[in-house]
Amino acid sequence: MTSVLSLLQPRWLATRNVLRRGPTRPLVIGALTIAFWAAAFWLFGRVLGYFQTLADFGPLLTQRLLVLLFMSFFGILLISNTVTALTTFYLASDVTPLLASPLSFRRLHHARFIETLLSSSWMVVLVGIPALGAYGFVYGAGPAYYFAAAAVLLLFLVIPAALGVLVTTALVLVFPARGTRDALLVGVGLMVAAMVVVVRMLDPERLAHPSGLVGFAGFLAGFGASGSPYVPSTWAAETLIPLLGARAGEPMFHLTLLALTAAMLFLVSATVVEQLFLTAWSRAQTGRVRAMETERPLSRWLVRLSWPLPRVPGLLLVKDVTVFLRDASQWSQLLLLCALVAIYVYNFSALPLNDGSRLALAMRDMAAILNLGLGAFVTTAIAVRFVYPMISLEGRAWWILRTAPVALERLWWSKFWIGFVPLVLFAEGLVVTTNTLLGVPVLVTAAFLVTLIPLMAAVVSLGLAFGASDPKLDSQNAAQIATGFGAIMYMLTCLGLIAAVVSIEAWPLARVLRLSRTETMATPEQLLLVVVAVCAASFLTLTAFGLARRSGLRALDRLVV
Amino acid sequence: MIRIVALRKAYGPLTAVDDLSLEVPAGTVFGFIGRNGAGKTTTIKMMMGLLAPTSGTVLLDGHDIRKAPEKAKAVTGFLPDRPHLYDKLTGAEYLGFVGGLYGLTAKDAARRAGALLGEFGLAAQAGELIETFSHGMKQRLSLAGALIHRPRILVLDEPMVGLDPEGAIAMRRLLLRLATDGVTIFLSTHSLAVAEELCGRIGILDRGKLVALGSMQELRAHAGNGREAPSLETVFLDILGATAA
Repeated sequence: MTSVLSLLQPRWLATRNVLRRGPTRPLVIGALTIAFWAAAFWLFGRVLGYFQTLADFGPLLTQRLLVLLFMSFFGILLISNTVTALTTFYLASDVTPLLASPLSFRRLHHARFIETLLSSSWMVVLVGIPALGAYGFVYGAGPAYYFAAAAVLLLFLVIPAALGVLVTTALVLVFPARGTRDALLVGVGLMVAAMVVVVRMLDPERLAHPSGLVGFAGFLAGFGASGSPYVPSTWAAETLIPLLGARAGEPMFHLTLLALTAAMLFLVSATVVEQLFLTAWSRAQTGRVRAMETERPLSRWLVRLSWPLPRVPGLLLVKDVTVFLRDASQWSQLLLLCALVAIYVYNFSALPLNDGSRLALAMRDMAAILNLGLGAFVTTAIAVRFVYPMISLEGRAWWILRTAPVALERLWWSKFWIGFVPLVLFAEGLVVTTNTLLGVPVLVTAAFLVTLIPLMAAVVSLGLAFGASDPKLDSQNAAQIATGFGAIMYMLTCLGLIAAVVSIEAWPLARVLRLSRTETMATPEQLLLVVVAVCAASFLTLTAFGLARRSGLRALDRLVV
Repeated sequence: MIRIVALRKAYGPLTAVDDLSLEVPAGTVFGFIGRNGAGKTTTIKMMMGLLAPTSGTVLLDGHDIRKAPEKAKAVTGFLPDRPHLYDKLTGAEYLGFVGGLYGLTAKDAARRAGALLGEFGLAAQAGELIETFSHGMKQRLSLAGALIHRPRILVLDEPMVGLDPEGAIAMRRLLLRLATDGVTIFLSTHSLAVAEELCGRIGILDRGKLVALGSMQELRAHAGNGREAPSLETVFLDILGATAA
């Protein structure tokens, strides 16, 4: 009989082969993980350290923060497991050979369950380890706490995974699988966007200031009771708090409750899948046939809108936009993008810059200079989602473009314009809006606008180069493509380029901003300095653009399907 | 019409295609046969500019695929072994898109797409997303895409795979008709019966090398050893057996 571990072997071997390709990938991922853990550990340590100074009030806040943490984890895990289970159980292409093999549905469930849990939970583990580590460190907990924390985290991950499998199976039995996935993706997009907005509205920057911590403590104190006694997040927190020595409790009771619930739900999930898998799988194979009357007008309108463009860029634009609008995994990301933009603009409107003090004016100048970098960075984050996956999303259908009588260079330029035009307009709009909110002089805004054109060209060119160098031709999910190793390297490269551009322009622009405080006009010498700085920055970005273009074209030429 | 000159593809120590040279005259159906992994698909990928050769070149209608790829591709239609298409487009949209890439106006592309969809039995599904198509339907749509610009050369990699008997018969008839119309067809296939029925000339590839080339009669004479009119199957096994020995 095939063991569950041998069913997981393909995934494990594939990961190992990727890691073996070169030392760069594991090294960069390792370094980024350690940096993230250090930052998260510091942040949690700071908050918990403050709670400790609050004498009797401290343990209550510690408990509530832990409950809040586990509640957030639970929500994220539930959504993530539901979406992942839909793919791993009902949409993945490798389910067919497994179904044809002499494998019981129960074993199939166990293998897919582990895969779902690992794919969905790594992010929570990434945050959970430094958070729980910081708790132990600040409270000087003994080894029992760390063992319990590891057990709690593991058991805690099983519960939403089992619930996710059950919810997915129920959904597939009622709706077609692809429709369910689209609905879930849009739902997740909306929820993540809402969560980002809510977190921003909590003003997390207050944590950097002692008075802010007081406010956060107040928020936690007002955060309901200590959590419902019937939910796993409370059991997880109630297991760990007594072991921290924060207050007395029944850790073994709550740990047992957690373990029994996890085991029970796992068995229920296995039994349900064992009984219903074939029916659910059969339903999931139903394709989605779009109604012609709703599909054709979209395509027709896009063709009309693209008439001023040359033939090939026009065709590619229509094709790419049509595919984008029909693929929920792509357009649902716009929801998150809208939330990010709203927050970015809100941040600038919320800055305390209007009291006319020297400090406020100095802060405005700093915010204005940083705005060039931050605006470009926000746009880069969008490019990671929309430009970087462009080549990967061509998928195995790349042969269609490659065997057509269209020069590779023309294909590259078509992709470039599709990415560049919306991004540069977005970046310029963002900078104009935020600079207006900051009351930045027109000269500085103009310098930003000129700088952003070649900078965004470089960002798009780099996106195409990195996307072509590390293509995921078999992935149809843009969000997944945008979280890969190549995407991280792309983001870091852009970050370096943006930092260099801001460094070049910061000094001359700061001088102009300082003069504007006294409403003095810039001297010709200062204006010349600004022009020289903008030219130097543009030279740098255009060089990056050219190099990335060359590298992207080479990568596209080597791209074998 | 098709000229392959000293074509070679090496992946490190492995040579997938080794010094391959052959010519296919206009209006010929050329069968390219060989075992799995013999280098057929690698050759076709190099012919279509999907893969850069280590050395050598391919001329399609006199145009070098490396030096003038657009001109070479403009006269060629291609059907890959696995028809990966744009799942989120409809059949009609796909053909309109491909027609545009080959220089057809939107009106011409739409007219030609309508005719081809009808010819390939896909008219009723023209407005449905490709993701709902079966393998055979995708194969037929892919072939319609390869024919939309009325190519002079057609390169087909395993065109019969995934087709139902009715589809396979229609495909054979179509290829014969195209050849009669003067289209040069380069056909890679595992089906020796298909090669025997359709192909005027046949090349047998083994471990990257062309081990036999000629018409059916020439191949029979080459491998016959006095036997009377052996089938292509016998010829194929004889030649490959001799090569292996």
